[in-house]
Amino acid sequence: MNFKFHYFLIAFVFCFTASYLLLAKNAFADADGVILTVTISASSCGNGGIDSGEECDGSDLDGGSCVSRGYSSGTLSCNSNCTFNVSSCSSSSQQQQQQGGGGGGGGIVIPPSGTGSVVFSGRAYPLSTVTLLKDAQVAVSTIAGPDSNFKISLSGLSAGSYIFSLYSQDKNGLRSVLFNFSITLTVNATTNVGGIFIAPTIAVNKSEVKKGDDISIFGQTAPQSEVTILVNSKDDYFVKTKSDKDGVYLYNFDTSPLDFGDHSAKSKAAISDFASSFSNLILFKIGAENVLAPKPTEKKVLKGEINGDDRVNLVDFSIVAYWYKRPSPPLKVDLNGDGKVDLIDFSIMAYYWTG
Amino acid sequence: MTKFSKLKIIILFSIFCFLFSLSAIAAKLELNSSVSEIGTGQQFKIDLTLDAEGEDINAAEGLISFPAEMLELKEIRDGESVVSFWIEKPSLKEAGKIKFSGVIPGGFRGILGPYWKGYQPGKVLSLIFNAKKEGMGAVKIRDAKVLLNDGQGIPAETIIFNFQFLISNQAPSSKFQVPSSKDTNPPELFTPEVASDPNIFDGKRFLVFAAQDKGIGVDYYAIHESARTKEAARIDTKDWIVAESPYVLKDQKLRSYIYVKAVDKIGNERFAVLPPKFAPWYKKWFVDTAAGLGIIIVVLFSIWLWRKYRKISNM
Repeated sequence: MNFKFHYFLIAFVFCFTASYLLLAKNAFADADGVILTVTISASSCGNGGIDSGEECDGSDLDGGSCVSRGYSSGTLSCNSNCTFNVSSCSSSSQQQQQQGGGGGGGGIVIPPSGTGSVVFSGRAYPLSTVTLLKDAQVAVSTIAGPDSNFKISLSGLSAGSYIFSLYSQDKNGLRSVLFNFSITLTVNATTNVGGIFIAPTIAVNKSEVKKGDDISIFGQTAPQSEVTILVNSKDDYFVKTKSDKDGVYLYNFDTSPLDFGDHSAKSKAAISDFASSFSNLILFKIGAENVLAPKPTEKKVLKGEINGDDRVNLVDFSIVAYWYKRPSPPLKVDLNGDGKVDLIDFSIMAYYWTG
Repeated sequence: MTKFSKLKIIILFSIFCFLFSLSAIAAKLELNSSVSEIGTGQQFKIDLTLDAEGEDINAAEGLISFPAEMLELKEIRDGESVVSFWIEKPSLKEAGKIKFSGVIPGGFRGILGPYWKGYQPGKVLSLIFNAKKEGMGAVKIRDAKVLLNDGQGIPAETIIFNFQFLISNQAPSSKFQVPSSKDTNPPELFTPEVASDPNIFDGKRFLVFAAQDKGIGVDYYAIHESARTKEAARIDTKDWIVAESPYVLKDQKLRSYIYVKAVDKIGNERFAVLPPKFAPWYKKWFVDTAAGLGIIIVVLFSIWLWRKYRKISNM
């Protein structure tokens, strides 16, 4: 009896410890993440008034006409699913017009009739540009309010799964990491995604710090947020500071406890129950002298940015894809410098994606 | 039962516990289907899904193998895929082997929705098979690579789940419908872009494009370049050139309208048009001439006014 109990006890402790250690990683990963609220509102289509996610309702066309939809003439009407019916519109040019852009730059696309819509809301940085990507391509940009809150709506979307990504650019031009999520959209309904908290930007004032001197770690987030900075070393150091009314935070970190060598830092922000994910990593070195880091306002070439347009997008993807598994790729497209273009290079590019 | 065998059971139980815990944190690539017993001659669908399990994944590739003597591949669908861009679009490379490789910019943790809590696995692709011959077999994933969205492309710990099937004449009839002619939605709006880079095509200008289709997937793209503006839907079929991105433009001077159409597997079409970046020579000549004439008229009128003013002031 004793023998049986003894071994069962060992097995139980072993199982419990293994499960705890391994599953703890997941729990912390969740804690890292944001609190998102995804709700769906039943369609109010058919009530004669235009509600969120509707292009029109009955005879209410919201001031729309064939001309405003990009056609030259005809009569615009409303479908039963509250999307525009352009079947009676005619065009002298093409079915879907695009204007402007040209050559290197695309254009404005007139949205089509669709069946679902989605509304995103959350926090970025005060008066910052917030860009929404739909399936990795820029869909729309907006400016956050002085309180850092933003709201973006997209309508006319087919039902199905989408990958949406959001990022913001702070007052120094630094970009946040992409905030990515996949959602399944439903027919004739508006999906609301709330509680988005875009990760802070982060920069340092020195690329190399004389051991024992301070390094300034700074960036921007929502105003009055509690910012946690994690400095990676042999032992990780967590420090906290608060962002000011403009969302700017600064922490002078004493490097005395850090060893000589390479280190990194990242930050995240929280307000009441809402927390952002971690920012991207910023690297610095502890050495024998102080070397100033480039100012955040100075233009930096993003990894994966191949054609020099300050964006990492389909063009760069196409250039790298051209060299996929081909011999002797140029250094510029071999992002990890291993002499070949393979999945790892695309993974690096996908991390720095801007759309 | 001896003490020794009890001990063995306990050790095995512990190992099982440990492996179960491990499986809970590794990303999963899984082949699954609503049926596992299929009647001869019936069609069925197998989905390849990615479960990130708390990780952040941004790239995946692999090889799906199946017994070609038992199964006939009818179709590959990527319309509902979480993969945004294919490096190697899933296709039958040789008998019984499908290669795929793609990226998810920004990463994938799972699918959110209002009807469930947390993240759900995402679909990578679907395979439609026709059961040819009786017997047992398996569709397997080989050489799988799943990479973390960490800026370094570090491989994620990944567990593979293959799919085993039984083809039998006694199997209940499959409910799978070959669809889906009901899908009338064209691919999503897309914006082609012209670019050039010394690293490819000897610096020639090329066009990049990618459309998503939320139905069963984009079948092909076609391009038409023309100096004249046209209604894209009325362009003659023979004038379209089936193409893949990136596409080297014929008109390197960018004086043409560029028409691109994305066609899904049902035949629904989505058009996109890029206007010329530079006006054609005749338009340029006309504008230059008009501008020149305008300047001459303004100068002559100013001289006339000035002379008239001098006459009045001399009087």
